[in-house]
Amino acid sequence: MSIKRRHVLSGSAAGVASLASGFVGPAIAAPEPIKVGYLPALTGPSSSTGIGINRGTELAVNEINAAGGVNGRKIELIVRDTQSDPTKAVNGAAELTKRQKVNIVWGPLNSGESLAAVPLVARDGIPQLHPCWVDSLTDVKKYPMCFRDAPTNQQIGAAANHYVVDVLKRKKVAVVSDTTGYGTASVEAYVPMLKEKGATVVYQANIDAANPDLKPDMLRMREAGAEAIMPWSVNAGFLARICNTRGKMEWDVPIVGQTTLGSGQTKALLEKPEYWNKVYSNNFRNVCFGKDGKLPPRATEFVEKLRKAKIDMGDTLLWWIALGYDGIRLIADTVKAAGSSPEQITEYWNKLKDWPGVYGNITFTPQQHNGFQDDEVVMCEVNSLRDGAFNLAPGYAS
Amino acid sequence: MIESIVSYGLAVGAVYALIGITYNVMFSASRVFSFTAGMLGMLGGVLGALFIGKLGLPTIVGFVLVLACGAVLGVITEIVAVRPVLKSIEQHLYVLSTLAFALLIQQFTAIEWGTEAQPFPRLIPISSGWFDQQFWLPLLACAATIVGLELLYRRTLVGRAFLAIAEDSYAARALGLPEQRLRLASFALAGIIGALAGFTGGEMLLAFFGNQAILSFYGFVPVALGGMGSNRGAVIGGLALGLFQQAANFLVGGIFAAVAVFVVFIAVLLLRPEGLAGAAASRRV
Amino acid sequence: MEVTQTTIPRTSARSGWLASLEKAAPFLALGLAALAFPLLGDSYWGVIVTRACVYWVLVAGLNMVVGFAGQIAIGWVGLLTLGAYTTSAMTAGTAMPEVSPYLALVAAAAIGALFGLIVGLPALRLRTFYFAMATLGFSTIVTQVALAWKSVTGGGIGVAGPVFGWPFTGNWGFYYFCLLIAALCTWMTINIAGSRFGRALVAIRDAEVAAEASGIAKSQLLMTVFLFSGALAGVAGGLFSSLQSYITPDAFTFDLSVLFFIAILIGGRGSVLGPLLGALLLTALPEVAAPLVAWSTFLYAALLLAIVLAVPGGIADLLDFKNRRPLERHREVVPRPEMLTRLLGGEGSVLSLANVVLSFGGVRAIDGLDLDVRPGEVHGLIGPNGSGKTTTLNVISGYYAPQSGSVRLGDAVLPPGAARVRASHRIARTFQTPRVIGGASVLDNVKIGGTIDGHGSFVEAMLTLPRHRRDEAVLRERALLALSAVGLESLADVRADRLQHSELRFVEIARALMLAPSILLLDEPAAGLSAEEIRRLGALIKSISRAGTSVLLVEHHADLIFDICDRVTVLNLGKVLAAGTPDEIRSHREVVSAYLGA
Repeated sequence: MSIKRRHVLSGSAAGVASLASGFVGPAIAAPEPIKVGYLPALTGPSSSTGIGINRGTELAVNEINAAGGVNGRKIELIVRDTQSDPTKAVNGAAELTKRQKVNIVWGPLNSGESLAAVPLVARDGIPQLHPCWVDSLTDVKKYPMCFRDAPTNQQIGAAANHYVVDVLKRKKVAVVSDTTGYGTASVEAYVPMLKEKGATVVYQANIDAANPDLKPDMLRMREAGAEAIMPWSVNAGFLARICNTRGKMEWDVPIVGQTTLGSGQTKALLEKPEYWNKVYSNNFRNVCFGKDGKLPPRATEFVEKLRKAKIDMGDTLLWWIALGYDGIRLIADTVKAAGSSPEQITEYWNKLKDWPGVYGNITFTPQQHNGFQDDEVVMCEVNSLRDGAFNLAPGYAS
Repeated sequence: MIESIVSYGLAVGAVYALIGITYNVMFSASRVFSFTAGMLGMLGGVLGALFIGKLGLPTIVGFVLVLACGAVLGVITEIVAVRPVLKSIEQHLYVLSTLAFALLIQQFTAIEWGTEAQPFPRLIPISSGWFDQQFWLPLLACAATIVGLELLYRRTLVGRAFLAIAEDSYAARALGLPEQRLRLASFALAGIIGALAGFTGGEMLLAFFGNQAILSFYGFVPVALGGMGSNRGAVIGGLALGLFQQAANFLVGGIFAAVAVFVVFIAVLLLRPEGLAGAAASRRV
Repeated sequence: MEVTQTTIPRTSARSGWLASLEKAAPFLALGLAALAFPLLGDSYWGVIVTRACVYWVLVAGLNMVVGFAGQIAIGWVGLLTLGAYTTSAMTAGTAMPEVSPYLALVAAAAIGALFGLIVGLPALRLRTFYFAMATLGFSTIVTQVALAWKSVTGGGIGVAGPVFGWPFTGNWGFYYFCLLIAALCTWMTINIAGSRFGRALVAIRDAEVAAEASGIAKSQLLMTVFLFSGALAGVAGGLFSSLQSYITPDAFTFDLSVLFFIAILIGGRGSVLGPLLGALLLTALPEVAAPLVAWSTFLYAALLLAIVLAVPGGIADLLDFKNRRPLERHREVVPRPEMLTRLLGGEGSVLSLANVVLSFGGVRAIDGLDLDVRPGEVHGLIGPNGSGKTTTLNVISGYYAPQSGSVRLGDAVLPPGAARVRASHRIARTFQTPRVIGGASVLDNVKIGGTIDGHGSFVEAMLTLPRHRRDEAVLRERALLALSAVGLESLADVRADRLQHSELRFVEIARALMLAPSILLLDEPAAGLSAEEIRRLGALIKSISRAGTSVLLVEHHADLIFDICDRVTVLNLGKVLAAGTPDEIRSHREVVSAYLGA
């Protein structure tokens, strides 16, 4: 993979040339491209998500441009790698909105960077689509042009809590996280939700992920009588240590939590493969294997496409690729139907109903810019990982 | 719970102690504290995982290669980051040059190896009890290092020359000791010890570029506590730090344990800058 | 006397508006460019330049700590974090009722100053490396606390940054606000750098022993600088949080600390312009060098290594064209002792040592020494190597505390082992190996000697208030006098490390003269000098004593001793072997056999 920060993905050389000059050239024949500003974290500490999403994003752009673009207009993807660093995200957002004058911003892909970038993009009056989970990242009053085509933290937590309390019937729960922003925020949000559902949170902690030994915390959880562990972290090392310690303590308790529990990196760090049993992570109905061992039709078709394009799925997650693919497709469909001005995009999206994505169906309303549906967030069995996708956890009707 | 505090605390303490000794061995030969000590520890883990885990070399070959790499890096440190700034040691440029060199290697590792922690292979194919190999390996390495250094310093001519340099480099040079070559050898030795720390602690700490910062700091605490240049002080300080940290982990939990260690570190430094066991330095006019 | 001229030659040490304009020109140019920058209409670069201004506010303060005082503070991002959270939390009203962002910025400065002092305290006692580690630890702890203290900082979700209201509204309004503060910081640090405080900081960095002998209070000065630097870091934090629009602990990476630190070293230690350019360069570079961005910290580290090894002077050194003009080859030091009367004067007192004993381990370096130096005399102290000559000087100047015995000057008993207070007793000295600041001009080196005679405070210097300007005028005049007295006035503007060894000895004497000392201790001033130079040195020393300053001279050149000394004391094994006039000593049998070997 190249590590260029700013590179342009475009069907035509003219697109590249026009970027180089900083302005869209007054070419007579070629219609103006659709400029999509893109803020992935392709390097840095939380880049594995970005790398996965990037595969889908690039695939969609190539596909659309190869088919002649949107109403004859090519998609010009203007990339700035945020390096998982909020200060770089601010610089990047400024470049995309102020200098490149993009039609729409896709990303950032991590909450930490979005928290800084969303207000800035909103200030410049440019529509934005992002897949970050932190609830405050959409706000129809403060950011009227900002939309989310992914679940919120509330939805993620509600799905996990539902699974623990209602399906597994565990009432005493330990909720832990690492000390990152995402982790601490999640614990804070989910503990009251669990209590509301009638569960008792017997143990709650933010643990330094750099600490190699989790036994103290795990012992305290067990002493407190925890019947399920809910870890919230995107740190594979941290999550693997939880699985390993549970295994070594021979403690038979389910682990239910963040999607990274099922990532390839977490798997690689397990001391024994069986330590991955009884671990359930969030996932999404449209990209999970059903009881019949098959993906839903849209996802099946998508995987075929990935195979043909020779895109690797083994070292990432299917839903990341699908998410990247959906982001660009949604933008393209919108421009095709409504046009590319900020007002046209916003107006179209405010009425968007059941837009069929691989990753999920998206519906926006003027009051609700979170497009993901509650019942599409599910739990899956992590030890069933193949080709970046999982079986639905026991208890879900497929 | 007690056995968990003791086994883990001692093991991680042994790693800290070894890093502390790495600092000391470099310091004795050159009067320089080098930021590369933590880097060597980090690389011990990463290179071990690379050679044995990724490339599939036999454990013993991987082990020897890791130590050899440590020695080479030690030598490079001396040539690139220490020797050129030694003549103006009172300007403390070595803090900058060794920091720069350590950062350089760390960033390179982050980019080439990745920023995620990766698994470290199991070294000895035996089943584990509560006192697993990941706990006793660092302790064994620490004990072997201490015994080895004692034998080297007390029983061999080269070792005595090391001591002479550490005591008074001007006098040693006047006696005709090849100070520069001895310093180079010391840095190679420090490289081996640092890599050994990372390698034996690898199963516990994983192959992770971020270990560099942790080891740089927590490996230096025993030196500050035990007095610079004192290996015995470093071992006692390291093991005590490991136990304290782990006990604090059990009793008060994560963030507060880190804060507690920092507060103790600063307090000791302010109250007894020469370390709990050290003696005050003399004047320099 | 061979010299007839008595005025200071015009060629030396260019003064007046031309020189100050030359110094200010780059800053003015940068300032004008920054003022006109919005005319380009590129608001993306507006964000980048705003960021550069914010970083410079922090770097300007840190420059005083790292670049001037030479303290290796690598964790300064901790103070940025503190300032950012203080401003944001106060503006958002998470800890107390909301306040105006401007007020919150002032509070951030106060909190930053306080914690700057707390972080800095270890530097007063600890070795360099220990201090570096302590600042590193501090920056980690601050982030951890920010994560844990959710009610105020918002924990991991963070908190919105302040939006500055009238008159600095909008993107360009905020730009001008940051530019204004950055310009203010530049002005203040230039003022400090050119004041006796700035010179004293550099002296602490490069010639700590000489700084102590000149009466520079290291702890007090460092504490002031930590307060100042902390306040600027706090303000920078407040601006940073507004620029970011939203802050989470993730935003405060160690890479940022590395950037600040390296900006200073790339710029060059002891310069203001250099680090300013460094900060600009490092902020803008990743925006321009697109393919390298993932490697940026790697490149910073490589740059740091290269700078330390190859160009320790940094950008400032490269821009220092003045000091690349070749010096005159065959230059001579021709002292003009007649200048001394304008510099020295006043009643001397008797320096007396009574029964001083000092031993190191089992060795008695000084063994019951009695010594009197009378006002206005040149007193020679001779003896074989290891007889305790330099040790005696070190006892007098307070570097060693004797186990017993007393040192008095007139009626005052000098406290044992307190080197710093010697200057206030008007005791000045030179060193066996000259301790000068290589990177500073000869004139600035000499000014160090007069540090304790300034009246203006640090704040007055920072704002160039009248009292400070008077201080500087007096210092400058006296330093030029001292330089022409020792015969170095033509080299006043030259960097000291370009001088020959023999010339440095005269620089040290000039520095000592700045104190108008009642006694001057000279430690082998003739070592390395030519015969002609020794003769001129002798005349100079003689004139110094005649101008009212008694001189205690440690020397190996017997001819010089016997030529100029009024009285001579011979030491052997830490005891007085003989004392008397040169003639008496020359004929003293034991001395002749043991030492003079004639």
